[in-house]
Amino acid sequence: MIEYLGQVRAIVWKDLLLEARTRERVVAMGAFAVLTGVLFNYSIDRTVVRPQDIGAGLIWMTIVFGGLLGVGRTFHLEAQDAALQGVLMSPAPKDAVFLAKVISNFVLLYIVSLMIVAVFMLFFGLELGSSAATLGLVLALGVLGFVALATLFAAVSAGTRMGETLLPILIFPLLIPMIIYGAGATSRLLAGRPATEVADNIRMLAAFALAAVAAGAVLFRFVVED
Amino acid sequence: MSGKGIRLTGAALTVLGLLGLILVYWLSFFWVSTEVSQGIAQRIFYVHVPAAWTSFLAFGIAAFTSGMYLWLRDERLDRAALAAAEGGMVFATIMLLTGPLWGKIAWGTYWTWDPRLTSTLLLWFIFLGYFMVRTGTENPEKGKRFAAVVAIIGALDIPFIHLSVVWFRTLHPDPVVLKPERPTLPADMLTLLLVSLGVFTMLFMGLFLLRYALENLRAEAQARSREATA
Repeated sequence: MIEYLGQVRAIVWKDLLLEARTRERVVAMGAFAVLTGVLFNYSIDRTVVRPQDIGAGLIWMTIVFGGLLGVGRTFHLEAQDAALQGVLMSPAPKDAVFLAKVISNFVLLYIVSLMIVAVFMLFFGLELGSSAATLGLVLALGVLGFVALATLFAAVSAGTRMGETLLPILIFPLLIPMIIYGAGATSRLLAGRPATEVADNIRMLAAFALAAVAAGAVLFRFVVED
Repeated sequence: MSGKGIRLTGAALTVLGLLGLILVYWLSFFWVSTEVSQGIAQRIFYVHVPAAWTSFLAFGIAAFTSGMYLWLRDERLDRAALAAAEGGMVFATIMLLTGPLWGKIAWGTYWTWDPRLTSTLLLWFIFLGYFMVRTGTENPEKGKRFAAVVAIIGALDIPFIHLSVVWFRTLHPDPVVLKPERPTLPADMLTLLLVSLGVFTMLFMGLFLLRYALENLRAEAQARSREATA
């Protein structure tokens, strides 16, 4: 068990260090988020809808698209000089590799998702009030479920001719629960409803994230075997 | 069962299924009583509901055989999964085409975000992904594994999708057959529904076996041509 955690930690550390040095994915996802906010602003006619009304939906769509951009490239850098083969041939079990990839992707995308919320609050004048911690939890669980599915299917799509083009087709249908419960909870929290009103959403998001991580950890070995 | 036995059983079931389909059409146009509130349009029910059930059965078989394939690595399981997934796509497409036609008259709109319609649409797309990863890989063995993973994750996700879309909104009529109490459907409608369900299942099993036998023959032909060139 201790050895297992050590293996997970080593890969997480390697990935985060790589990201800290190159800053490729965080910068790409962050720039994408801000620019999306700008485009959304001009795509909304404020005489017809108030930005507050659709803010939660826009936040989650931006997380999904920004996440695809970053998580879709999970195996890209390593695939280039067959470093992925090295990681997979290491004594670490395949599920440890998967969990490590999920954790490092989660850290990146969670930072980006907090930034997305901050940017959208700034751009659209959304108010959080006292529910910031609850929103943080909703985002964390939603992002975890997303990252688990996206990491597994990033490995699948990287192995096909179509590459990243395939990723949204594979994961969008699977993401409906995350969108419904995540965006639903965010809408209510942004509208100033009490945190107790989104307790069911949080439970379902947690169940979804847990199932996605567990299924990914079991199935990942079949995706990367050679 | 031998290869020939599978082909003959498949052909027999397909022919019986097609004959049964004629019977189902005849019964649903001329025999069954007209539903009071929806009128004649409700007769599409006898195609729509069996198609939906059959597609779920087919995708269930595809997910199950995919899981068994990853475990046992028997090529026949993968061929069975492929055959079932193709059948599931056909019946899910029928369900998705008949649903909006019925909905336009029953609910006044072609599309609603009804849970069962939405779940089937998403299932259709999940299995579209199944075929895309299968054909999109250079190495067919890899494609089979990828497809199996897609099918399993899809099957696991469907309960979540269904729960969440039910939670989101519902317009669909409540279940009319599988209920704790007695079915509320009038006797003749229930009879026809069950007949139609049997016919659709038979037709699917026939097509499934034929498709499976075809995949077996294709693999055999490939193996022989490899032997011949070696």
